[in-house]
Amino acid sequence: MLEVIGVKALAGFHNMGRFSRFVWDAMIASFYSITRPGTYPLIWTQMHIIGVRSVPVIMVTGAFVGMTLAIQAYDQLAGMGLEEHLGVLINISVVKELGPVLAAVMLAGRIGGALTAELGTMKVTEQIEAVRSMGTDPVKYLVAPRVLACLFLTPFLIIFADLLGIIGGYFVSVVQLGINAHAYWSFSANGVELWDVSIGVVKGFFFGCAIAAISCYKGFTCREGAHGVGQACTEAFVASFISILALDFALAVVAKTIYSTFWPLKSLV
Amino acid sequence: MGNGNGDNQETVTENDGVIVLKNVTKKFGENVVLDDVSLSIEKGKTTVIIGPSGCGKTVLIKHLIVLLRPTSGKVYLKGRRIDDLNENELDKIRTNYGFLFQGGALFDSLSVAENVMFPVRQHYKITDESGINELVRTKLAMVGLDGFQDYYPANLSGGQRKRVALARAIALNPEVILYDEPTTGLDPIRADIINELILKLQRGLGLTSVIVTHDMTSAYKIADRIVMLHEGRIFADGDTEHIRSHSDPVVQQFINGRVSEDDLEVLRMSGTISRSEFEHRYLEG
Repeated sequence: MLEVIGVKALAGFHNMGRFSRFVWDAMIASFYSITRPGTYPLIWTQMHIIGVRSVPVIMVTGAFVGMTLAIQAYDQLAGMGLEEHLGVLINISVVKELGPVLAAVMLAGRIGGALTAELGTMKVTEQIEAVRSMGTDPVKYLVAPRVLACLFLTPFLIIFADLLGIIGGYFVSVVQLGINAHAYWSFSANGVELWDVSIGVVKGFFFGCAIAAISCYKGFTCREGAHGVGQACTEAFVASFISILALDFALAVVAKTIYSTFWPLKSLV
Repeated sequence: MGNGNGDNQETVTENDGVIVLKNVTKKFGENVVLDDVSLSIEKGKTTVIIGPSGCGKTVLIKHLIVLLRPTSGKVYLKGRRIDDLNENELDKIRTNYGFLFQGGALFDSLSVAENVMFPVRQHYKITDESGINELVRTKLAMVGLDGFQDYYPANLSGGQRKRVALARAIALNPEVILYDEPTTGLDPIRADIINELILKLQRGLGLTSVIVTHDMTSAYKIADRIVMLHEGRIFADGDTEHIRSHSDPVVQQFINGRVSEDDLEVLRMSGTISRSEFEHRYLEG
């Protein structure tokens, strides 16, 4: 029993070590790519695939988040006569937490799965080894552009999710539930600060990095055959999802500490 | 430099062979795939490595370019030890090689021309696009596929894919070209086209070629020297006549494609089951 636990623990440490090494290599390669204009076309291509093509699903996700929040919170606030504060509740939830997290989860599904499947297929068909055999570092050629595209574009995609979340919440609150538009925006403007929006967007850099690093690593280490690629995709999504939640918690703690150091906490109502 | 296992000579020079493996052992976990293999590849010659499936041929050829590193032992290219170099140093070394993978390993997302251009673009700053187009045309013409520049790998047959992969492998004019099962999966005529291309490159450009195969028709046609690998060790080594007339039954069984008496006995003992017996035994009961 102890032996089995020991073997599993060692295997876990071994995997963590390999992942850490991979992330370090990816960071070095990404820095190298930024400083070499010759690699920019590869980054633009990945930005188009990862960023531009994700905009519709991210916008739909954001819109439904805002609309659902409005529906769920209205009755509670209306019961206390505070329905005009609905805007601040929806908007702060969207820009600070739900927009970034749900947009990142959507990206982990759409982009993470695709990256793992693409790189995993390249691995099992020896394309990654072919890159290496021609004297090119596959981490520089394949991983760095994807990491950089995720790093730079996830914050922008979160802004899209936030925007549609705000519009969706406004649509349901004002148009459907009849809340006064001026009061809705006025309370929102007072309650939502630049800090709240910034925290949500900054989370995007971390989420983007985590999604790209995990997905590329799973692709590079996937096992042979269709089952191996499928399993790698599943593992990539689960690991990305958990990482997003864990990073969100850690960043929330850090952000709260920084905020409370400089500004007093204030009530939303 | 001797050929075969157990060579303990310490210094290796370019005269010993363009590539030299010295006492190379490769283990995957507890599984020993290469067991103390020493081998020198002669410059300008075609060396064919044969052996049954799973005997370590592909692992061996990947050690020649250090796509795999030995568990113990050393690899030399032109007298310089290369198995202990870091990946950045190896990237420069690998421009001396061309590698034809078993399935071609063409990049699906790139066209034929982009695939052939790939190593050139990675290692040279291109200022003249018309020049590189001409280079691609020349390389594709060498494998008989000029005019296929805009095709994608998915639109090519298996044989055409291997020929494009060969054009890509020779794009940087390497000194050594490694072929991993170049004729596997091809019909005899397409396989012979690949054999003719290998001969043409060797004779025309004086390339050093190492070919891993279990296709004896190809081996006899293209080899200057045949090395047989068996259970991770070099079992036989010599020219085609030496291998044809080798006295060891393991070599004769392999080159003539005959199953051993022991394996036949196992097959006879295992028996067969008819459809009616199967239905009676497993379905009705």
